[in-house]
Amino acid sequence: MRNRTRTAVAAAAGAALLLAAGCGDSGGDGDGTVVFDMWAGGDDEVDALRAQVEIAEEETGVEIRLRTSPWNDFFTQLTTRASSGEMACLTGMNGQRLGDYADAFLPLGEEELATAGIDPADFTEGSLDIMSHEGNLYGIPYDVATMIVYYNKDMLDEAGVPEPAAGWTFDDFEDTIAGATTDAQPGFGVGMAEFQWMSLPIARSGVQPVTEDRQLDLTNPAFVEASEWYFGLVDEGYAAVPGSASDTGWGEEQYQNANTAVALDGTWNAVTYLNNDAGFRAGMVELPSQGGERLGLVLGSGYGISADCDDPETALQVLGALVGEAAQDEVASSGRSYPARSSSQPLYFEALDDEIRDEVEAAFEAAFTDLEGQYSTDNWTQINEAIQPNLISVYAGQMTPAELLEQTQQQFGG
Amino acid sequence: MTERECEAVTTLTGSTKRRRGGNQLRRIETRQALGFISPALAGLALFTAFPVVLSIAMSFYQWPAIGEREFVGLDNYVNLFQNHPDFIPALRNTIVFTLLFVPLNLVVSLTLALALAPRIRGRAAFRVLFFLPVVTPIVANVLMWKILLQPNGLLSGASSSLFGVTLPNFLAHPTWAMVMVVVMSVWAGMGYNMLIFSAALEQLPESVLEAARIDGAHGYRMLLRVIVPLISPAIFFATVMTMITAMQVFAQPQLLTGGGPGNSTMPLVMFIYNQAFTFQQMGLAAAAAWILFAFIITLTAVQFRAQKRWVHYEV
Repeated sequence: MRNRTRTAVAAAAGAALLLAAGCGDSGGDGDGTVVFDMWAGGDDEVDALRAQVEIAEEETGVEIRLRTSPWNDFFTQLTTRASSGEMACLTGMNGQRLGDYADAFLPLGEEELATAGIDPADFTEGSLDIMSHEGNLYGIPYDVATMIVYYNKDMLDEAGVPEPAAGWTFDDFEDTIAGATTDAQPGFGVGMAEFQWMSLPIARSGVQPVTEDRQLDLTNPAFVEASEWYFGLVDEGYAAVPGSASDTGWGEEQYQNANTAVALDGTWNAVTYLNNDAGFRAGMVELPSQGGERLGLVLGSGYGISADCDDPETALQVLGALVGEAAQDEVASSGRSYPARSSSQPLYFEALDDEIRDEVEAAFEAAFTDLEGQYSTDNWTQINEAIQPNLISVYAGQMTPAELLEQTQQQFGG
Repeated sequence: MTERECEAVTTLTGSTKRRRGGNQLRRIETRQALGFISPALAGLALFTAFPVVLSIAMSFYQWPAIGEREFVGLDNYVNLFQNHPDFIPALRNTIVFTLLFVPLNLVVSLTLALALAPRIRGRAAFRVLFFLPVVTPIVANVLMWKILLQPNGLLSGASSSLFGVTLPNFLAHPTWAMVMVVVMSVWAGMGYNMLIFSAALEQLPESVLEAARIDGAHGYRMLLRVIVPLISPAIFFATVMTMITAMQVFAQPQLLTGGGPGNSTMPLVMFIYNQAFTFQQMGLAAAAAWILFAFIITLTAVQFRAQKRWVHYEV
């Protein structure tokens, strides 16, 4: 009997080992390759990433195993991998979400930067703040971004509304969306995602919902007042209530499908909108100002090294190549993102059509002027995830903006 | 030793030899069998037993996805019931969904099965048609329902152009959103139970039906007094399985309403998912999962106990 049990245990253990060996896909890179986890939405994005990976492989001689997943799934997978110690050595990270994952990344000091061959001076001023948390640098940005107002030139022309111009104000903004609103469609597409809704209240109030010392400040009276104005745009009839709380890209999708004339989105989508499938002429302009002041935030994403990485030195070399000049030139000329490396930035505009190049460059120049770094709390992602399903209640008038902000402040602000 | 005794010894030794040989063969066969089932056993251990045991342990810990873990005893369970703003609403939503979905699903699928029971023309095509949503990816189903239900969608557009009536924004209203999650789920799932009921109806003993007819049973009397009792094992199976899937509902609200507006359509499984993968509180999520398990197992046990009163296995 004992023998039989032993045999069973031994057989099961053997099979378990075989299975574990077959199933394991560690980011530990013991075989000399570096696993690189990154989000990518479709074939185009995967191809663009592959092009950067090939450049990095050529420069370093290290084999890179790229694993991609769509944006929404990426962070779910990352959470699972981080909790089980299976995080890839090289991992993409969004600046706004860094606070939630900072402990999983290797802090990058002078020594690490030297190993990676990175000179911080090569990157746009303030861009390294995107990947910094509590004074530590956890990654190197591959792009810089900010929120920008996109408009449909054809719709504005048809409605007889003048196109927004640099230096415009919130009064101009309201006139534009009011003029573009018709019986057939609203003039503005409200946001359901973090900065797609929050950017206008921040710009209008001149304050961030987190203080400089990283305390949640959603109930700041100026921010609450500006939020009430923003959500009130639905009551004014300038915007429609989103279809469902699951429509996280509501305003941007309405704009892209030519169902509305104006929407807010990041500069990372500029080329997508310029080449929109609906076939309209897209325009872009910086956020409006209030009382001569405009508060815009610098955003972006980058790559970091896992704190558990077995071979951080090799991973650092790959990181250096992925944000190196050749890879950043590739990012810029593909139009996927506005690169963080200053010397690569002109290529972004050179890739655009002649007739829109100057206009887009001017809009970017204005939008990237006088930006402020985003203040964030450790649980910023969670705060936004808690706010998001309630936004539709506020748009639909079942809850006031003050109630939403107060409720979230109480839940997360301590 | 007498001759008789010698015979007895010989017989005994022979049978011992045979038994020894039999034991050896059995041992070899047992080893071989264990060898064959070991992959399955290993799979069971790795992917079922280990996660189950781990999730029990996790539920007693403050277990962040990243960082230090701390034993907290029953705190996670207590916090869920006493302090968490979303847990009780999620539990309520799961119960509301189950109470609405299970009877509606059973009634609709049984009605369809009964309607397609007679050998009418094209009934196979109808069965395929009603079963299609079951095999269609849920994402495609939800996309279609979103197009129907959006403020300027098909339903709303048809209503205002044909009747001049403006319909509510279904998925932005807490009550309507839950109703629509239930309606969509019934539409998507009715084909499965319809097939089970259809199979049961095909097996009805003609002699019993004939006897009932001779005794004057027709229409509703025939349905409620003869057919339903005869297919009660199938109804019981469908009820238990449908209730379990209803308690575990996730994809429909996640994709159709995102659990909103607010938390009005967030079921318990979505709550568990959010706690684990959005809020990174694995311990809290594990505790909520075990509470859900307790609910499901209790309700299933109650149903098995109650079946003695209404399920008829004998014909």
